[in-house]
Amino acid sequence: MIKKVLVILLLAVIGFYLVDLLAQIPFGEKRDNVGDYYLQESVQSLKVANAVTGIVVNFRGFDTLGEVTVLFLAAMGLSSIMYRKKKKGDKDVRAKKPSSRILQVGVQIIFPMVVILGAYVFIHGHLTPGGGFQGGAIIATASLLMLITYRKFKVNHNTISWIESIAGVVFATLGIIGLIKGMSFLENFLPTGELNALLSGGIIAIIYVSVGFKVAAELTGVIDTVLLNNKPDSNNENN
Amino acid sequence: MVISPVHYIALPLLAAFLIPLLGKINKELVRIVPGLVLLYLSYVSVTLMTQVLQGSPIVEIIAGWSPPWGINLVFSAFSGFLVSLMTILGFLIWVYTYNFKPEESYSQTTKFYTLFMMLITGTIGIVITGDIFNLFVFMEITAISSYSLTAFYRERDGAEAAFKYVLIGSFASFFVLLAIVILYTQVGTLNMADIARKMPDVDPYIKGVILLFFFIGFGIEAEMFPLNGWAPDVYTQAPGPIAAIFSGMVVKAGVYALIRVIFTLFDVPSVLNLLLIMGLLTMVVAEVIAMRQERIKRMLAYSSIGQMGLVLVAFSIGTKDAIFAAIFLMFNHAVIKGLLFLSSTFMVYHSKGKEISEMNGLGKLMPFTAFVFSLGAMAIVGLPPFSGFWSKLYLLMAAADAQLVAVIAIVLVISVIELAYYFRVVHRIYFKERTSVVPIKTPTINAKFTLAVLALVIVVIGVYPDLISGMIEQAAKDLLDKQNYIHYVLSVR
Amino acid sequence: MNQLLTISFYGTSVALILIGLYAVLAKKNLLKIVIGLSIIDGGLHLLFVSIGYISKGTAPIFSPEVVGTNAVMVDPVPQALVLTAIVIGFAVTAVALSLVIRLYRHHNTVSIDEIKNLKW
Repeated sequence: MIKKVLVILLLAVIGFYLVDLLAQIPFGEKRDNVGDYYLQESVQSLKVANAVTGIVVNFRGFDTLGEVTVLFLAAMGLSSIMYRKKKKGDKDVRAKKPSSRILQVGVQIIFPMVVILGAYVFIHGHLTPGGGFQGGAIIATASLLMLITYRKFKVNHNTISWIESIAGVVFATLGIIGLIKGMSFLENFLPTGELNALLSGGIIAIIYVSVGFKVAAELTGVIDTVLLNNKPDSNNENN
Repeated sequence: MVISPVHYIALPLLAAFLIPLLGKINKELVRIVPGLVLLYLSYVSVTLMTQVLQGSPIVEIIAGWSPPWGINLVFSAFSGFLVSLMTILGFLIWVYTYNFKPEESYSQTTKFYTLFMMLITGTIGIVITGDIFNLFVFMEITAISSYSLTAFYRERDGAEAAFKYVLIGSFASFFVLLAIVILYTQVGTLNMADIARKMPDVDPYIKGVILLFFFIGFGIEAEMFPLNGWAPDVYTQAPGPIAAIFSGMVVKAGVYALIRVIFTLFDVPSVLNLLLIMGLLTMVVAEVIAMRQERIKRMLAYSSIGQMGLVLVAFSIGTKDAIFAAIFLMFNHAVIKGLLFLSSTFMVYHSKGKEISEMNGLGKLMPFTAFVFSLGAMAIVGLPPFSGFWSKLYLLMAAADAQLVAVIAIVLVISVIELAYYFRVVHRIYFKERTSVVPIKTPTINAKFTLAVLALVIVVIGVYPDLISGMIEQAAKDLLDKQNYIHYVLSVR
Repeated sequence: MNQLLTISFYGTSVALILIGLYAVLAKKNLLKIVIGLSIIDGGLHLLFVSIGYISKGTAPIFSPEVVGTNAVMVDPVPQALVLTAIVIGFAVTAVALSLVIRLYRHHNTVSIDEIKNLKW
């Protein structure tokens, strides 16, 4: 009880200081920052309609490469932490009862629509709000729907591993090609096309598509790993 | 293709994505590829370092947009020195781990080596980047790899230590990100040189708050008191070579980030006093607790924290000689602590509790390992003719020049305490009979190679410190020269 | 009007951060602690996006209707940074949850009191 009171006091102090700090930062005010340059260049040099995509994939593409790596490492770390040697008699344990009829019929209708929406979002990342990460997450949601509806639905981890690796290699290689051509890493070396056309932005569209695939594969793999085999160890396995 | 700093990041990333595919061709490739990458990067370090020492810092722009609109990498005397240390040390530790746990399954081995390589890449990224948000991203790469590697082996309480690490590490990320958010509202840019240029115009109260948030966030990574609660458990539970990487690289990157923010980004000299106090507190508390430890890795962990406190004290004195001593201390600590962790791992390999009492009598049964361990122990306390002596001496001289008598006194007292608890271990190794019944694991040839090289470096630098003092002096000058940094980065086209 | 907007955006983010902090510090269930971390992240990201807002600005997308007009657009940089931060936050949450699962397998409980080594 005393601990909760102390915690609430501490939070009140922190909250007070945060609010005091934020009061000095006016809301909605226009400040001088690098954003203006990005907005201008996105239209003029990159010919990419979605300025946020331009920043994420080109101006600060290095951060995106790091972020893709973080996802990759998280998926790897997750499966290494949850690793269990396979013993005899281990069955793939999922839900005990089949899911309801509504869910089964509903998913049959919704699943293809969600996948197409996800694909649309990441292919058009440079034209409309969205992009590789958002589209990939939508597709992973579709897989989650399938996993909770059909107990026999299995995700092939081998395929996922291939998609992850190939998409990652595409991203890194596109960057390195820039290096080999004598320009800087990740510099755009394809023609940029017209603003608002599907084939605009040079390598930006290609990178975002591969990111979309990678994120979809990784998130699906993560969800599937977590759903498997989570019964507590029996006593003689405790070390 | 010209050798440039981006190779440090691009190649390991490409290799990390390729390793699962390469593994399908040949299983041994999974172990070999990280080593090849690290070997190549060591070569890159040597090449770039010679270039930088003769001329000016190497600034490389990414994606073709010059600063402050694009991200850039900065390989200067200071950052380059640290990166070279990390790559070469990383390669040596890879040699050590080559057959560390041969009975492990193939899928786990793949993940271990990929995470291992990315942990080193993350720390290198923190040091060479010139953009503050990019630094945050690399900090997270390092963090995720560390969390996964700490909990890697099932037989220990790694999961508990890793969970504590996740909690505290998340707070570190939170504070750093919050600091970046508020900083962006004030200066409107994320490029470190540009921030340094615009910093004098920022409101002093907000400046202080941002600096405080950075101090807390990076202080957690740099094991500063009282934010280092995560460190002892993590070092104890992580596999031996991983603990060597944590103490030799991850913590150094945290200290680098803190120092870069204080010295280059901000112009608040009074924070150095705070740093001095925190450094002294870290040192004293950690070394006193180290004395009472019964388990060898926990003892080494507390000793590591104490050494980091010493480094922070050295940086906080602020003069060129003090910074020289600080960088020399960082170098020595990385090499010596690496040697201590790597050798003690074999000495307690099969034991469950990793207690010091189980090391009794190993002087006769594992002569080589016991010898290098004792050499490391003497070096870290600061006995001549080893490298540790010079760094402590330079620190004391710098403190004397700055007339900080209290600092000299505290450092000397702490050195005596260190001598006591290290000597206790060495005494047990050589002068007591073996009481434990745990089987002995003799190190493999590749492990012995790494231990020998590290020991050799300690002895050679101890006898001829001038071999690297030139480099370190340039590094110290580079850190203090803020205007030079700003000029070099912002003039790249 | 501006006051109301300020309060709702800044206030919500601070409230989320405080709620998340409370969950991390005062709750005993490991899952609730991890959710608390996630909530703190949510609050911080909301704060980040809010500071990028410019009064009467629109989304920074140059769709065919907007090209050529000198429309005021909000700052795109915080949005890009938050994208990265959300993914990183997710990755940390995933690793934390996997650790919780492993602790559950080992100790058959998710209470922080039961698992001895987690004491400060």
